[in-house]
Amino acid sequence: MARLTGLQKDVLSLYRQCLRAARRKPAENREHFRALARSEFSKYGTVDRKDFNTIEYLLRRGRRQLDMYGEEGVRDVKG
Amino acid sequence: MFRTALLRSARQAVRAAPRWQAPIARPVARSSLFQAKQITPSAFQAVRCYSASAGLSKEQVEGRIMDLLKNFDKVTDVSKLNGESHFHNDLGLDSLDTVEVVMAIEEEFSIEIPDKEADAIHSVKQAVDYILAQPDAH
Repeated sequence: MARLTGLQKDVLSLYRQCLRAARRKPAENREHFRALARSEFSKYGTVDRKDFNTIEYLLRRGRRQLDMYGEEGVRDVKG
Repeated sequence: MFRTALLRSARQAVRAAPRWQAPIARPVARSSLFQAKQITPSAFQAVRCYSASAGLSKEQVEGRIMDLLKNFDKVTDVSKLNGESHFHNDLGLDSLDTVEVVMAIEEEFSIEIPDKEADAIHSVKQAVDYILAQPDAH
């Protein structure tokens, strides 16, 4: 695999943070959170790697969503 | 009077506890400041430490990582799975799948891999080498 650019690293790091956040959820709902993260990321898998504006926008949006779903009060998500 | 005896027995237990491993010794030392009942969990940790000291062999680590990949639903061609497999070139995993694999490896060996090192793991061999270099992995 080619060396990752800074932006690619940011995306992978955000994905990792999402999966880590999913681990802190109640065990029976953990898969729901993982599936949500996976579908959100793969939804935009076709975005061109040079389309920096879109990627940066999606990163910001993803971080906001992580903050929201990562809250302790959020115990489950429905697909 | 009773309290003094309690503290003394706690201190003795602390002295008796093995000290060669820093992360284990720390909670034991701290517990002498509290009640004697604090000894129980640390004694348990010391016991666990005996069993872990044997370390992991290369075959063991490789076997566990391969099992994990075998059960990963994104791996399409299990026949290509061996100790040298590259996640992307051989197993057809994309970068997000690779992150998932590395996270699963973290859980399997009860360690946390920092982002920088995790980004550098692209093959079974690299993962095995990384785990073998981690004293905490078990």
